[in-house]
Amino acid sequence: MALLFPIPFERSGQIYYETVGFLVLLNAMLGIGWNIIGGWAGQFDFGPSIFFAIGAYTAALLSIHLGWNAWLALVGAVVVSVALCAALTYPVTRLRGHYFAIATVAMWMIAQPIGATWQLINGSQGLFIPVAAGGTFVHGLLTLEFPGRGKGLGFYYLSLLLFSATLLGARAIERSKLGFYFRAVRDDQDGAEAIGIDSRLYKVIARCLMAAIFAAGGTLYGFWALAVFPDQVLEVNWNILPMMAAVVGGLGRLWGPVLGAIILIPISQLMTATLGAGPLAGRGIDLIIYGAVIMLIAGWRPNGLLSLPWAEWAARLRGRPAARPAKG
Amino acid sequence: MTLFLQALADGLQMGLLYALVAVGLAIIWGLMEMINFAHGEFMMLGMFGAWGLSVWLGWDPLVSMVPIAVLMYGGGVLVYRLLMRRVQRGEVFTQIFATVGLFFFIQNGVVAVFTSDYRFVEKSFLTGLSGANITLGGLRIGIPLLVGGLIALALFLILYLLIDRTDFGLAMQATAEDRDAAMLVGIRPQRMYAVAWGLGTALVAIAGVILANFFSVYPQAGLSFTVLAYAIVALGGFGSILGTLLAALVVGVVQSVTAAYLPPAFKDAFVFGSYILIGLFRPQGLFGRF
Amino acid sequence: MRILRLTAAIAVLSFFVVQLNPGARAAGPVTEVLIGELLPLTGNFASLGQQYLWAGQTVEDIVNNDYPDLKVPLGPGKGFPGLGGAKMTLVVRDDQSRGDQARTLAEQLITVNKVHWLNGEGTSGNTSIIQPLVDSYGIPMACHACASPTLTEKGFKWFYRTGPNDSTMVASVFQFLREWPSHGGPKDLKTIALFTCDNLFCQDNRKIAADLAEKGGYKIVADLTTKTGATTLASEVQRLQSVNPDVLFFVQYPAETTVFQADAKRANFMPKVIATSNGAYSDQTWLTAQKTTAGGAGWLGRDPTAIDLASKKPAWKQVNEIYKKYSRGQDMGELAMREVTGLLWMADTINRAKSVEPAALAKAANETNMTPDVMIIDYKGIKFDKNRQNELATGVVTQIGWDDEKHTIWPWDLATQAGFKPIFPSPSWQERESRSKK
Repeated sequence: MALLFPIPFERSGQIYYETVGFLVLLNAMLGIGWNIIGGWAGQFDFGPSIFFAIGAYTAALLSIHLGWNAWLALVGAVVVSVALCAALTYPVTRLRGHYFAIATVAMWMIAQPIGATWQLINGSQGLFIPVAAGGTFVHGLLTLEFPGRGKGLGFYYLSLLLFSATLLGARAIERSKLGFYFRAVRDDQDGAEAIGIDSRLYKVIARCLMAAIFAAGGTLYGFWALAVFPDQVLEVNWNILPMMAAVVGGLGRLWGPVLGAIILIPISQLMTATLGAGPLAGRGIDLIIYGAVIMLIAGWRPNGLLSLPWAEWAARLRGRPAARPAKG
Repeated sequence: MTLFLQALADGLQMGLLYALVAVGLAIIWGLMEMINFAHGEFMMLGMFGAWGLSVWLGWDPLVSMVPIAVLMYGGGVLVYRLLMRRVQRGEVFTQIFATVGLFFFIQNGVVAVFTSDYRFVEKSFLTGLSGANITLGGLRIGIPLLVGGLIALALFLILYLLIDRTDFGLAMQATAEDRDAAMLVGIRPQRMYAVAWGLGTALVAIAGVILANFFSVYPQAGLSFTVLAYAIVALGGFGSILGTLLAALVVGVVQSVTAAYLPPAFKDAFVFGSYILIGLFRPQGLFGRF
Repeated sequence: MRILRLTAAIAVLSFFVVQLNPGARAAGPVTEVLIGELLPLTGNFASLGQQYLWAGQTVEDIVNNDYPDLKVPLGPGKGFPGLGGAKMTLVVRDDQSRGDQARTLAEQLITVNKVHWLNGEGTSGNTSIIQPLVDSYGIPMACHACASPTLTEKGFKWFYRTGPNDSTMVASVFQFLREWPSHGGPKDLKTIALFTCDNLFCQDNRKIAADLAEKGGYKIVADLTTKTGATTLASEVQRLQSVNPDVLFFVQYPAETTVFQADAKRANFMPKVIATSNGAYSDQTWLTAQKTTAGGAGWLGRDPTAIDLASKKPAWKQVNEIYKKYSRGQDMGELAMREVTGLLWMADTINRAKSVEPAALAKAANETNMTPDVMIIDYKGIKFDKNRQNELATGVVTQIGWDDEKHTIWPWDLATQAGFKPIFPSPSWQERESRSKK
């Protein structure tokens, strides 16, 4: 499969668009992570943001108090997140379906007051990540610290890097035995167990793969925002946006979350900029339309937008009869 | 000791109010297994309905409860027919997605019309009773909350009888358990789902009307109750109406008692912690059927 | 297949690149000063955000139109004289009360819309999220009504605040309590309970209060933090009741305050003094709602301004009339007053700088020495300390009376002007019931 390098946008000072790109890639990456547990293993996880937060805070703490380089901190964040995930998830895998889903919500609800009051992470007053002044762009790539202008571009590429890594990893998993086990658990848990698949183990593995990805995402986010606040990293949108991206694009499809993120985020940004501003500001009109768009997509294409016959359309566009496309 | 007993009493009272909010969800989600992110928004619409009718027509919420319930029943059926029925053709997860859209749509629709200011139902039967207590053995029981709680119990009883004791209710359960089999015996699933949505929405709107007597009315009001409602339905067990009631009481008590002795910021956390704990021993909730 | 998707992705992204490309900042003389307003217009803090918006619209109106009798900066005359009559234009964005959205939109406002000045976010928590970003781009920013002290203490070089911060304001409350006995007040207030919400603003307040309480010799008998969005506070009220504090230091937002009041009424709990810091006490909607139930009588709190005195100024009255055009008739509360004052200061600064270049703006801002006679609020002036915090804004202490209005009770000279005798102790629920207008 061709590795894609989306053409970067050399915006002359319009760094905002790079940030939008960054957010798209970040959410796409998170969406792929969520897809592992939600799409492949078929378990609803409504509280993945706790791992996002754990990642962000761990990396921030390692960086601030121990002076670790950002990339090392990222590794540390992932390790901690996976460990916590395994510990928390294994007991809960006794629950099935919606019960499991509420358990993940429960974890998220428990995380909130911890985040707000735990003094180690400074509670609701947040942790600020100091940025050394000066330093070149390359230095920035190495330490995730960008003073000044290079920031938007730098983070765009970094998110692209992590996103690509995640995508490749996910693709590898999808085609591996692991992926097969996940799907077995999703489609027929009892049947899977009958042939000797330990469904609990694989649920844990799936969730912890997601936790790793979310932790990496959280770390990247923390260094981008330069501050980690509990209500920001545990925010409900980090729960639902990756999920929505996956569902919009097509649950369980590798590229599903990517398509979903590409569609959802620019739309909401565009709406906010146009309808959420000016004389209509404060009336939430942009969100009304956003909600309506979501409902339309959901009602029209409940299996996700990837289920549209893209290949056939492309073939017709090129003047060829709608033949079965070769798997690319 | 009085602190504990009072907390227990307070918790039971709040539990009944939570039950009121959760009962609608118990039907849509607990019974028919359709995820509804926008549940709290329907409650909020009920609150605004009560406030609006109180301000413009001077109707007491206990009176406006009826027309609002009827209206919202229709609304729920409409949501099902227009949106959820189509969504059902796809993945289960798409229901989340669709109802998230509904959530944004409704909440901001209300913001657009009413802005985010807080509003209060000022003159009503129940607010007139505010502060009135009866004292039972040294414990204070607030009368307005008690009335609200009794209404909740009444609704639960009606619902329980409807679902568990009538043919119609059995048909709904059948559809939830096995849609194809239900069709084979002549039940029309679409109709069951539509009714479920209608009932669920109407019930939670009633909850909103009652709650409007005690709480500020504003577009974001749904959230804090909704999250608890989800925990309650799951804790009670899917498919069990009585389970939801019991779970609501448990939640109310846990919340109240932990707030009395432990850091109050964690009281919801303890509720959810209890859910996980109980879930470890009873994975299908207290009385869950599936 | 994949290529098609790639093409689609690029097409979508390019679309935005091409379509949403507002013109680059025109070279040459400035005809329009772009003021970014990043506010929570929907979501949790929407009721605050809309007041900020109305304040912004009011100042835009004042600057761009000619109000010859209005004694505030840029009242008379149209536009910025120092910039050849250039007009002021607000560029408003709604961040839905979300920090990450605030950050993204701040970047949009700065790099795409190229605003010259950024006002936002409106709540201390989200403002601290965008500070690092704005600082890295180097344009002036302000949140005049954000009261958290940390905003000006973290060394951000471009953040200005004309309003007082909570360190000063909470200190006023404690100073009042300390001096009260020698001005006819109670001499036996010994115990204090702290009751705060769990976000940045409340917790900052809590820390300051805890510190001052200890220094003031009070015994802290309870220190409870609650999560926002509480559906009931009955147990918390019970706990407070069981320790029977003389003073309750109360920092909660309007929704939770209403829940507290209902639960306190049921439990018949009323400490001798309720001292608040912002939150519901500063929210016009909550204040209005108290009118029918006399629920606010006796509550005292820190206030950035002696509103009863300030509203006597002709300038205040005139500005209020303009404000009411945008606010659907709601009067300026103290939040709006702080913001209007700050924005007028901003307009004055831009005018003095005669330029929209950041360096010139910063210089003009740092040199500010505004006198009280041109302000609608009763700061002693505007002059910034080394952290760009206005050191002449100290705030007062007010109390809600039986007439449901706020009256100044401290400092003592202003209190005498206001002519209001503080209510003590805080009225019982029965008394409120009997004097309510239901």
